[in-house]
Amino acid sequence: MPQSPELDVDVTRESLLEQANLDAPEGGKIKFLERLPFGKALTVDRYQLANGLMLLLIEDHEAPVVAYHTWFNVGSRHEQVGKTGLSHLFEHLMFNESENLPAGEFDRKMEEAGAEVNASTWLDWTQYSSSLPKGQLLTAIPLEAERMAHLVLKPPQLNSEKEVVANERRFRVDDDVDGAVNELLWATAFTEHAYRWPTIGWMADIEGFTTEDCLGFYRTYYAPNNATLVVAGDIEPKVVLRAISQSYGPMPRAVLPLEDVRPEPPQTSERRISVEKPTQTEKLVLGYKSPAFGDFDYPALSLLGEVLAGGRASRLYRRLVRELELASEVRISVGPFRDPSLFELYVSAREGHTAEELLAVVEEELLRVREQPVAQEEMDRALARNELSLLASLETADGKASTLGFYETVLGQPTSAFERLAMERKVSSSDLRRVARRYLVDTQRTVVLVRVKDDDDDLEPNSSSDSDVEAA
Amino acid sequence: MNQTIQANPPEPRVLVETSRAVPLVTLSVTFTQGSVLDPEGLLGLTRLTGRLMRRTGGGLSADQIDTRIDTLGASLGVDVTHSAISFQGTCISRSIEGYVDVVKDVVAKASLSEHEFNKLKSESQAELLSMLDSDQSVARHWFRREMFADHPYGRPTGGTLVSVPKLQHGAAVEHAKRTIRRGNLLFAFAGDINPEQAQRFAADIAAVVPSGASPEVEIDEPRFVSGRQLVVVDKPDRTQTQILIGTRGSHPKDADHTALHVANTVFGGTFTSRLMHEVRSKRGWSYGASSHLAYDRRRQPLSILTFPKAEDAAPCIELQIQLLEQWCEAGITQTELDWAKNYLIRSHAFSVDTASKRVSQKLDEVLYDLPKGYHEEYLANVQAVTLEQANQAVAERISPKDLLIVVVCTEKLVGAQLQAIVPNLEHYKVIPFNGEVQTETKT
Repeated sequence: MPQSPELDVDVTRESLLEQANLDAPEGGKIKFLERLPFGKALTVDRYQLANGLMLLLIEDHEAPVVAYHTWFNVGSRHEQVGKTGLSHLFEHLMFNESENLPAGEFDRKMEEAGAEVNASTWLDWTQYSSSLPKGQLLTAIPLEAERMAHLVLKPPQLNSEKEVVANERRFRVDDDVDGAVNELLWATAFTEHAYRWPTIGWMADIEGFTTEDCLGFYRTYYAPNNATLVVAGDIEPKVVLRAISQSYGPMPRAVLPLEDVRPEPPQTSERRISVEKPTQTEKLVLGYKSPAFGDFDYPALSLLGEVLAGGRASRLYRRLVRELELASEVRISVGPFRDPSLFELYVSAREGHTAEELLAVVEEELLRVREQPVAQEEMDRALARNELSLLASLETADGKASTLGFYETVLGQPTSAFERLAMERKVSSSDLRRVARRYLVDTQRTVVLVRVKDDDDDLEPNSSSDSDVEAA
Repeated sequence: MNQTIQANPPEPRVLVETSRAVPLVTLSVTFTQGSVLDPEGLLGLTRLTGRLMRRTGGGLSADQIDTRIDTLGASLGVDVTHSAISFQGTCISRSIEGYVDVVKDVVAKASLSEHEFNKLKSESQAELLSMLDSDQSVARHWFRREMFADHPYGRPTGGTLVSVPKLQHGAAVEHAKRTIRRGNLLFAFAGDINPEQAQRFAADIAAVVPSGASPEVEIDEPRFVSGRQLVVVDKPDRTQTQILIGTRGSHPKDADHTALHVANTVFGGTFTSRLMHEVRSKRGWSYGASSHLAYDRRRQPLSILTFPKAEDAAPCIELQIQLLEQWCEAGITQTELDWAKNYLIRSHAFSVDTASKRVSQKLDEVLYDLPKGYHEEYLANVQAVTLEQANQAVAERISPKDLLIVVVCTEKLVGAQLQAIVPNLEHYKVIPFNGEVQTETKT
């Protein structure tokens, strides 16, 4: 009697694990957790090492490349007042010296292997990504493990990296109107939750970090039981499992601190700020309190955002940019975060028009979605755009690893990108109206009106005197 | 299955790369003349015309076209460079038939309505104004204008705040007649599509494009900067600067192009390059530090980008000039050469890991007049570069005596320091970030 295909898979996997675990360090014993479908053709295998490290493998032989990602469950939400930006600064420091590698050697070896290396930090997480030619994966695994467990921090390197990060902040925030206004929006919309400070940190905090701060952070959060590895692409699971078990197995678990994040109290009245910036035209930035990424309402609100400002056929683009010619740009995003965050709406005015004019039109359109049902055709369009966007993000091994790592870290469900799309397909017009009424209301919003700063004005940029909180 | 079909004229040229990895098809319909066709004084006309076609295809309104595209699960943009007008986008493969219909309407049946033209012109002006908010865009804009001076490559493809308001509807209609011609058509398909389908779709679209070719524009080799020139683009309230330093580069047809490319990888092409090491890793002066050799149909410059805070701008420029001089005088070492070759050969996998990247390479070969097989032979050419060739290429092609230095900054804060720090400075110019040349002095 022929064996069922599923049984074949189980036998093969058992044999894989047996080989990987044969001489594995105690913490490196690997346990298979589950196999999950990922789109129509691929599957993801989820494993965990005895020391707590999560591991996601996706075998895809489309191109001779591999993406190797490390996702840490630590972001700016885990920081404290006075120490903001530490997660991000630390992301930079991870490219420095380690016990067995002099400064610069990590990058040099990775680049010699042909790797494209990058990293990013946001509110809930920090991730390190390497894309490698197929044959170079075994070069990367011990190097990644080395910096996860044996980083060396010295004052000269810390000082140089603080200067780099300060320059990054000037580039992304201080000399960038959109970056500066975005920072102001979040700092005003949140009063208690750690989402109120920027991931890059306040400049004074960046300048003040010591090696002790950084070492303490490293020992606390850079532990196998606070991380997920994602390996996607042209891999041989047998080889990968064994290499990961050997390289990461010796790392001990850490005792992770309880999160000290304070819930944001409900917002009961509008917050409005007027600010002058060296820009050419006025801007309007709105932040409505929105649900967490894992909330039942998130897919509906996300779809509503697409109906309102996703592409040139969207309602706000049509009215503000095309019909009324008041704006040059409109965009909406819904924060994909673990805790409730913001539904952000950004509009850039055309010359001679004011932020108030923009606001009046935005309010009309928001009233319309609160009062009248959205047509099925508009919803279908938004769904098609989201499907295109998801498929496009999965063209490369790196895109697949990013998607899996993000969903695993934020939701604990690595393959739920496709489930999200299915959930959005179930959203009805009534759902859109319900979430519009629930979230897109004036009392739960923060408004930033950006005025054009006169060139002759000698105010220091970003000084406290250039913004003015108005009572709503 | 990957296949290139090079049909015989007058059949349309069709490039195809098939991959079933994701159910997407990428399509590019390219006309092989770009903004170099802008008539004198009408900068931005080619781009505006391309965008007008995108918005008036099939006699529909812009809203109707956008609705059609979104409903299909597709995207369609217009990219106008100096050398091409390209309508390109992606669709979910189940919608390919409908998508090709939209593209056909755009490239061959656009109404070019005056009403939409006026809206688009106003929108373009607003976009040009918004671009002034981005210091790096401002730096790139003035770098090209100053580097190429009167050469067509110095003309901004999007036009300027002076030229765009002067563009007239009639000129756009005439320009479309001149430029949108079957003889200039080039198709590229990638993804979930087979060569036979691609050929059929291409023939379908080409059949409705007017026959003939657009006028040939002979572009001279650019004359690059001579001596050292400093251009300060003055913008208020800058805590940081954007610095672009450039000099003559090369073209892939130059025999030493690959050798120069390898040597540049050592100088500023990677995260561990000399430039990155000295500027960022050792001194922390700039978040980014890189040098780049671009290509087009004619030679492009070598450009170096850094963005230090205002106080560090002068020493950062001084350091970069020193590094350039050292590179040209002493060259690179054998160890550096071996390392760079390993990097380039191994990382090449990421230039060809998707069907759309592979077809783009083939498209580039045609569009930019690259040597036949440029991309196919790239790995072998890199592998063959010797230390002597790399260093000779740097010594002969790169001239640290002839530099254009463009700095976006607040002039009153750093202008004097910048002038003082550049040895043998021949020209110093200040340009307001939102206008024309304000002052010009010779030092």
